[in-house]
Amino acid sequence: MRKLSHPVLVLAAALALLPFLMRSLGLTTALATELVLMAMAGLGFNLLLGYTGLVSFGHGAFFGLAAYGTALFQIHVMRGGVIVPVLFGTAFAAVLGLVVGFLILRRRGVYFSLLTLAFTAMVFYIVFRWTDFTGGESGLGGIKRAPLLGLDLDDQTLLYAVVCLIVLAVSLLMWRLVNSPFGRVLAAIRENQQRAEFVGFPVQRYKLVAFIVSATVVGLAGTLFALLKYFISADLVHVTFSGEILAMSVIGGQRSFLGPALGALFFILFRELLTAVTAGWQLWFGLLFMGFVLFSPGGLMGLGERILAPFRTDRREAAAMAKRVTPDPGADIPGFLRGQGDGSGQALAIEGISKRFGAFVAVDKVTIALAPRGIHALIGPNGAGKTTLFNVLSGMFPPDGGTIGLTGRSIAGLPAATLAGLGIARSFQITNIFKTLTVAENLRLAVQARDPRRFAFFRHSDTLAEVNAKTSGLISFLGLKGLEEVNADSLSYGGQRLLEIGLALAVQPRVLLLDEPLVGLAAGERERIVGLIQRLSEHMSVLVIEHDIDRVFAFAGIITVMHNGAVLATGTPAEVRAHAQVQAVYLGTGRRISASRKMAGITTKAEPLLSLEAVNSFYGASHILHDVSLELYPGEMVALLGRNGAGKSSTLKAITGLNPPRLGRVIYLGQDITGWSPEDVARAGIGLVPQGRRLFPTLTVAQNLEMGRLKRIGRDGVRWPEERVFQMFPRIRERLNAKADTLSGGEQQMVAIARALVGSTRLLLMDEPFEGLSPAMCEEVFNVIDELRREVPILMIEHDLDLALALADRVYVLDRGRISHEGPAEPLHTDLELRKATLWL
Amino acid sequence: MFFIIIEQIANGLVVGTYYTLLALGLSLVFSLGGVVNLAHGAFYALGAYLAVTVSSLLGLGFFSAVGLAPVGVALVGMAIEVLFLRRLYGEDPILGLLFTFGLAITAEQAIRLIWGGTGLPFGIPPELAGVMTWRGFLFPYYRLTILAVCVGTIAATWLLLNKTSFGMVVRAGTSDPEMVRALGIRLRPVLTAVFGLGVGIAGLAGVMSAPLAGVQPAMGTEILTATFVIVVIGGLGSFWGVVLAGILVGIVKGLTVIFYPPAAEAAMYALMVLVLLVRPRGLLGEKMDRLES
Repeated sequence: MRKLSHPVLVLAAALALLPFLMRSLGLTTALATELVLMAMAGLGFNLLLGYTGLVSFGHGAFFGLAAYGTALFQIHVMRGGVIVPVLFGTAFAAVLGLVVGFLILRRRGVYFSLLTLAFTAMVFYIVFRWTDFTGGESGLGGIKRAPLLGLDLDDQTLLYAVVCLIVLAVSLLMWRLVNSPFGRVLAAIRENQQRAEFVGFPVQRYKLVAFIVSATVVGLAGTLFALLKYFISADLVHVTFSGEILAMSVIGGQRSFLGPALGALFFILFRELLTAVTAGWQLWFGLLFMGFVLFSPGGLMGLGERILAPFRTDRREAAAMAKRVTPDPGADIPGFLRGQGDGSGQALAIEGISKRFGAFVAVDKVTIALAPRGIHALIGPNGAGKTTLFNVLSGMFPPDGGTIGLTGRSIAGLPAATLAGLGIARSFQITNIFKTLTVAENLRLAVQARDPRRFAFFRHSDTLAEVNAKTSGLISFLGLKGLEEVNADSLSYGGQRLLEIGLALAVQPRVLLLDEPLVGLAAGERERIVGLIQRLSEHMSVLVIEHDIDRVFAFAGIITVMHNGAVLATGTPAEVRAHAQVQAVYLGTGRRISASRKMAGITTKAEPLLSLEAVNSFYGASHILHDVSLELYPGEMVALLGRNGAGKSSTLKAITGLNPPRLGRVIYLGQDITGWSPEDVARAGIGLVPQGRRLFPTLTVAQNLEMGRLKRIGRDGVRWPEERVFQMFPRIRERLNAKADTLSGGEQQMVAIARALVGSTRLLLMDEPFEGLSPAMCEEVFNVIDELRREVPILMIEHDLDLALALADRVYVLDRGRISHEGPAEPLHTDLELRKATLWL
Repeated sequence: MFFIIIEQIANGLVVGTYYTLLALGLSLVFSLGGVVNLAHGAFYALGAYLAVTVSSLLGLGFFSAVGLAPVGVALVGMAIEVLFLRRLYGEDPILGLLFTFGLAITAEQAIRLIWGGTGLPFGIPPELAGVMTWRGFLFPYYRLTILAVCVGTIAATWLLLNKTSFGMVVRAGTSDPEMVRALGIRLRPVLTAVFGLGVGIAGLAGVMSAPLAGVQPAMGTEILTATFVIVVIGGLGSFWGVVLAGILVGIVKGLTVIFYPPAAEAAMYALMVLVLLVRPRGLLGEKMDRLES
């Protein structure tokens, strides 16, 4: 948020000048009062929209219902009077906000917005039909402005002054609110609700309070509006009115405190001045609103900022600095992080944890003993269940079986925010920070979650001394000194990963769960983070998932290997390295699998069918593939090997266009296809059998096949007619009209392969075709691929080395995004020692 | 009394299939593109207005109007999809909501400007007027026609989705758009066509309702909430869920009207709120993560 010098002063000045502006345009003071009230309604509404990120299509209902409350109270109960009816109307709005908010805030996103729409429609219907009470269509008149403290409020100028005072007071309170610890959390919820929960904030409570405050402020505006107009009607609770408040806030600028006020000014002036010219002013206003949504969601304030940006040097300097400064290894561990790991016994007693998704067992009775200090690493091939285990431990979802004990207390199934409060912190594999906040704001927010004053409404969040001290200690430790004011999304990738860990540390953890902290980082940065982790592990228990196995074996104290959801082995690095079963999982058993040897035909003198030239791929800021080069010649089968996280699937995505390379080229049939859309790549004859099969579940087998041949109709390349499909996969003929999601894993794999081959294919890409198959099915698929490779060139990713080496002619090995080995498959297939030397640690 | 109940159930069925038609269009657009089109009611209104124009200004009859108006609406819809909605696919779904909300309000104003603020007359064509009698059971022919057209359109939509290549691609694109692209099939034209289909159906519903409910500018926003009620109860993205919900709501409304008229509409909203709280995916819908992020 842009911080104006003090928005309330700006507002006060504007309010003082407004009557003169109005008069110069030939408009009345009463209209000025109306404008001010709409501005206040916008401000209240924006607490929900701009600050918390919740879109309500029904806030006008609070405005209108509060107005009705005031009017009815004045008419039936007090017969006059001003203060009490207004207070009643406002209180009514607050209570309604509590009830409605409690009910509908359970849903998020689009569902929440739809609920507000339904709520408004219902309210309008009731108000409109209950003619006896509300006046229905004709509205409710006879509202009086009783004298207030001797002032005659029927004087429009006096009323304007009184309303302005009220609005200024409310604005001051709101301004303090949004800058308080409470307000900062709202912004965090808007940016990244999940991370806010994992950092320890009970998000639902915050949203409810924001909803109530917003409803109350909007309601107050409504009550004063009733006094202004002497008359109210059901229009005020109609969805169109809510839409106007929404439009005002969006057009004015939802990211700025005064944006909605500007929007109100714009709206009223637009309405008044255009009504004289055309009856269709609402049409033009609507078009403007749509335009802003499409092209400038930051509204007028956003536009203003963009125009002024070249003149704002401070932000640009900070961003430039972010690129220059490299995070330095930093200072000592801050005091508040020490001492968590004192004492003996287990930090966390994880026993027999199981987690199922439908029929799929992701985690199978896992038991891990976490010591109070030290680094415990969790490794295992893809799909081993490591991240699912983390999700269970950190409270993302409860386990289906087993217990988790924290100092004798069972904590399985507790929500993430509670667990954070108990000292279980977690970092994420995909960076999960608050992107639009600065580095300091990110960390201060997380630190604040542990501070007892985190609900404070009216203190300025920057004045919490303890929070500030802890934050700067953390910043120094992470080595981010000098980058405090840099926006998180301007940081380098390495900086972002440091911040990611920092957010977890701010929780003051006893147990720190780090999910692939090193992913995508260069060697130097990896060293830095390993150093950080080692120092932290002297004070707390660290459980790390990592695929950089070389490093893991160097820095971990204990290693647990998981496979297919269960624990395979636990021990010191030396023990695990020598463990036969672990080696088998990563290297294969060296069993001889007979495959019919290929007929000679590859001449490396020929032009490659496919070649990658120094391909570099990124996921966002994460550099995944580094100068990857490979070739595939006509008539051969190449296997792409490597541990998970190495970049194998990313290589396929670079070829198929699903994640095009940022640097380097992909050449196919002599043509540069880098950056081609996936549709064009497919039509050019590159067939894909993706990881996980990805059949269309609601379509039948026959229809899945038809999808494969619909648009891939080139004349070159292999193109299997249906008879050939049935001959190769007899079971497909039997199951032709079954829905794809009723097939077994092996049958699905067959269909996935057939789907690729019924369309014109000159090169077949296969990603983990043996994953999740029973041994019998593996054998069948193996035979199929054995036959296939004589017909069509194949590039296969497979982690089962025995199978891959038996089938392939040549192999490439990827390690941390780089090609580390290239050569014929045969020697690696037959000689297990050579395999170990080339591919193991 | 018995006949009154039967009549009201029959009325409810007419209203129900008619809501289903609208809700189906909305649901289709959401399944494939992920956009909740709050302007759906505007296309419904446009259909009615185009029908009025076609029949009165161009001197063509009711039947031509029924044929041409939905096509006109579909064309307008597709233009909007290509020009604007495309930018919103894959963005924050809230932007789609905001944009279509603005579109709904703007469209109503545009209609006011073009055709005037007061309602326009649109009569039941003489061929379809009259009441069918059958042993004391009275039912207007026109309502029967609506029922027939709605059921026919729903059936045709089902056939399109389940028995044609186009429908196959739509259903595949609903579950895994990336894989569809990896098979060489471009989804953009399909998205445009589906949008045109969805709003064209809404336009058809508008034309059919014109003789009964009248043609006035606010008709779009009025019908919108009812449509959402159906979609939410049935489940966004579920064909049979929407059909079931439409018929259910129609019958419940029809019966409530006999016993306590004011409760009829309120009951609908209450039902929607209940479903959204207790079973947000609706009766038959899938759990939609897209909607909750």
